[in-house]
Amino acid sequence: METTVLKESFIEKSNKKLGAKPEDARISLTYLSLAFILLLVGGTLGLIQGLNRAGLFELPAWLNYYQVLTAHGILLVVAFTTLFMTGYFYAGVSHTLGGLTSKARKFAWSALASLLVGTVMIMTTVVMGDASVMYTFYPPMQASPWFYIGLVFLALGIWLAGTGVFLNAASWKKANRGQKLPLFSFFAVGGYLLLILGSLGITAEVLMLIPWAFGWTETVNVMLSRTLFWAFGHTAVNVWYLVAVSAWYVAIPKIIGGKTFSDVLARVVVILSVILNVPGGFHHQIIDPAITQGVKFMHVFMSLSIALPSLLTAFAMFAIFERAGRKKGATGLLGWFKKLPWKDVRFLAPMIAMITFIPAGAGGIAQTNNQLNQTVHNSLWVVGHFHLTVGVTVALTFFGITYWLIPYLSKRVMTARLNKLGLIQTWLWAIGMLFMSGSMHWVGLLGSPRRTSFSTYGDNATALSWDPYLMFLGIGGTLLFIGVVLMVYIAFHLMFRAPKGHTEFPVAEEEKDAAPTPKWTERWGLWIVLAIAVISMGYVIPIVDMIVNAPPGSPGFRTW
Amino acid sequence: MKQAIYGLVLYVFLMLPPVANLAESVMTIHMHMQMPLFVIAGMLMTPYLKQRFPTFFAKWNRNGVPGIILFMIIIMYWMLPRTMDEALTIYAIEIFKFISLPFLAGVPLRDSWIKLGKMGKNIIFVTLSLLCGFMGILYIFSPEQLCNNYLIVEQITLGWAFLFLALSIIIYFIQQFFVDKTEYE
Repeated sequence: METTVLKESFIEKSNKKLGAKPEDARISLTYLSLAFILLLVGGTLGLIQGLNRAGLFELPAWLNYYQVLTAHGILLVVAFTTLFMTGYFYAGVSHTLGGLTSKARKFAWSALASLLVGTVMIMTTVVMGDASVMYTFYPPMQASPWFYIGLVFLALGIWLAGTGVFLNAASWKKANRGQKLPLFSFFAVGGYLLLILGSLGITAEVLMLIPWAFGWTETVNVMLSRTLFWAFGHTAVNVWYLVAVSAWYVAIPKIIGGKTFSDVLARVVVILSVILNVPGGFHHQIIDPAITQGVKFMHVFMSLSIALPSLLTAFAMFAIFERAGRKKGATGLLGWFKKLPWKDVRFLAPMIAMITFIPAGAGGIAQTNNQLNQTVHNSLWVVGHFHLTVGVTVALTFFGITYWLIPYLSKRVMTARLNKLGLIQTWLWAIGMLFMSGSMHWVGLLGSPRRTSFSTYGDNATALSWDPYLMFLGIGGTLLFIGVVLMVYIAFHLMFRAPKGHTEFPVAEEEKDAAPTPKWTERWGLWIVLAIAVISMGYVIPIVDMIVNAPPGSPGFRTW
Repeated sequence: MKQAIYGLVLYVFLMLPPVANLAESVMTIHMHMQMPLFVIAGMLMTPYLKQRFPTFFAKWNRNGVPGIILFMIIIMYWMLPRTMDEALTIYAIEIFKFISLPFLAGVPLRDSWIKLGKMGKNIIFVTLSLLCGFMGILYIFSPEQLCNNYLIVEQITLGWAFLFLALSIIIYFIQQFFVDKTEYE
C-alpha cells in the first residue's frame, strides 16, 4: 500500500515537472496538427459555399457545388472532430493515467494510419467528382466504391483508437486496484464506447453499399441504408458533444479556480449518454415514409431523453460557476457572474460554447417534434442548427482546449498577446456564427432549402425575399473563415513558436467533503449490455420490418 | 419499502387496460417488454415480501435452487407461442400471466440469485442464452405462423429480438471471465 502511494506521487511529481511524455505528446500533436490542417481546408470550402449561397461567387465549371458540400461536411463533421477527439483524449489519458502503455501507443499510430488512408480515399473520390453524395451519402445516389471503402477505414480507425484507450484504462485499473478511473479517462472510455456502438450501424450500411457500388449486387434497400446511417450520424454528433462536455467538467473548474461539482454526477452523465444515445436516429427521418408513427414516437422520446444528461450538465456548470465566484468574494444573487475570468480565452471560448448550447439545444428539441419538423425539414434551418451545435458548442470548446492542450504538449506557454488574439478569434467566431446561423435559421423558416447552390428560381418573388438573409449568411461565413485562419495560426504558433515553458494540464479537484464515488459507476459490462438492450429495443422492430416488407431495391443513380 | 411501492406502481400501471392493450398489440413488445417488466415489478417487491415473510423464504428456498427452478419453469411457459395466444384470447390465462410473472418468476429470481453459487449462476446464464438463441432461430425460420394473433413479420422481429437478448446475455456472461473484479475493486 505504502509503495503504491509513493509510486503514484512520484508519477504525479514527474508529470508535473516534465509535462507530457515526449512519445505520447508526439501522438497527440500529430493528431492535432492534422485536425487543424483539415479545419483550414474545410473552412475554405465553407467560405466558398457561403459566398455562393449569398450570390456573390459563382463556382468555376470544374468545381461542382455538391463536391464542395461533400468535402466540407466530411472534413469538418467527421474527420476534424475524430482527429481532435483522438489527440485530446490520448493526451488526457496519458496525463491522468501516468503515461500511455506501449500497446496503446501502437493502437494510436495504427488508428492514425487507418484514418488517413480513409480520408485520402474519400477526398480523392470527391475531388475526382466520383462521390458528390454529401456526407450523408444517401443511396440511391451512388458514389465510387472507393469512397465507401474509405469510410470503412475511417470506422476501423475509430475502433483502433478506442481499443487503445480501453486497454490503457484496463491496465491502469489493474495497477491501481480499488481506485476509480480518473474522471477524464472515464470520459474517454465512455466517448469511444459510444462512438464504436454508433459506428456498428454505418459499418453494416457501408458493407452493403460496397458490393452495390462495384456492381456485384444490383439494388440496395434505400430505407435500411438511411436508417443505419442515422444510427451513426445521430450518435456521432452526441459523441462530439460528449468530448466537449468532458472539458467542461474536467478542465473548466480548474481554469476558473473552482472545484468539481460532483464526480458521481459527471460519471452518470457519461453512462446515460452511452446507454440512451443510439436509438434516437429516427428523429432525423421524421418525414421518411416506411416507418410507423409509433416507432418514430419512440425514437423522439429517446432523443429527448438525451436532454436529461444535458440538463444535469447545465445544472452542474452553473453550480461550479457560482461556487467559484462566491469563493472569490462575489455577493448577491448573480454577483458571481462578474467574477468569472472573461478575459481568459481558455474560459471564454468554452463559455460561449456552453451559452450557445441553450438556443442550439432548444432548437434541436423543437425540430425533433413531428409537426415542427415538417416546417423546417430540409430547409436551411437545419443547417443553422447544426452549425450552432457542432460549429459552436463543439468547435469552440475544442478551440478553448487548444489554448492549453497544445502548449502543454509542446512544452511552451501561451503569451498575453496570443490570449488577446484568442479573444478576438472567439468573438469573431461568435459574431460570425450569429450572422450565419441566425440568418440560416430565419431564412429556413421562410422556406429556403438546404443543399442547393444559389438560385433565384426564375426570379420567383419568394425566392428573392430570401436574398437579404443569404447575404448575411455570406457575411457570417466570411467572418468565420477569418476565425478559422486565426485559429489555425494560433494552433501552429503554440506548437512551434510560442516561448518555451511549462503549461499545466488543468484537471479539477473534488471538493474536500465530496462523497465517495460508488463502485457501480465502473460496471462497464453492465452498461454495454444495457446499451445493446436499448439499441435493440429501438431498432429490431423497424429494421426487420424494413427488410421483410422491403419494396424492390433501387439501382444506383449518379445525379451529378 | 420504497422499492416495493415503485414495484407496486409499475405492476398496477402495466395492468391498466390501455397500457396492457398497447403492449400486447406488438408481439415483440408483448414478450420482450411487458413480460420482463412484470418480472421486474416482482423483483422490486421482493425485499418487502422477504421482510414480511422471512420464514417462508428461508423454509422453501434455502439454497435458491427451488426458486430458480420455479423462475425457469414460469418463463419457459411464457416463451411458448401458444401461451401468448391464450393470454390474448382467454381471460383467465391473461390473469395468470399478471400473477405468475411477478410473483412466481420475479420474486423467486431475486430471492434465489443472491443465494446461488457461482456454478448455479453460470448454469442459468448458459441455459438462458441457449434458450433465447433457440427461440430466436425458431421464430426467425419458422415458415408457419406460430401465433394466431400475430403476423409472420412480427414473429421474425421477435426472433431477432431473442437473438439480441441471447447476445446480451452471452456478452455479460463472457465478460465476467475476463474481468476479475477483485483485481479492480
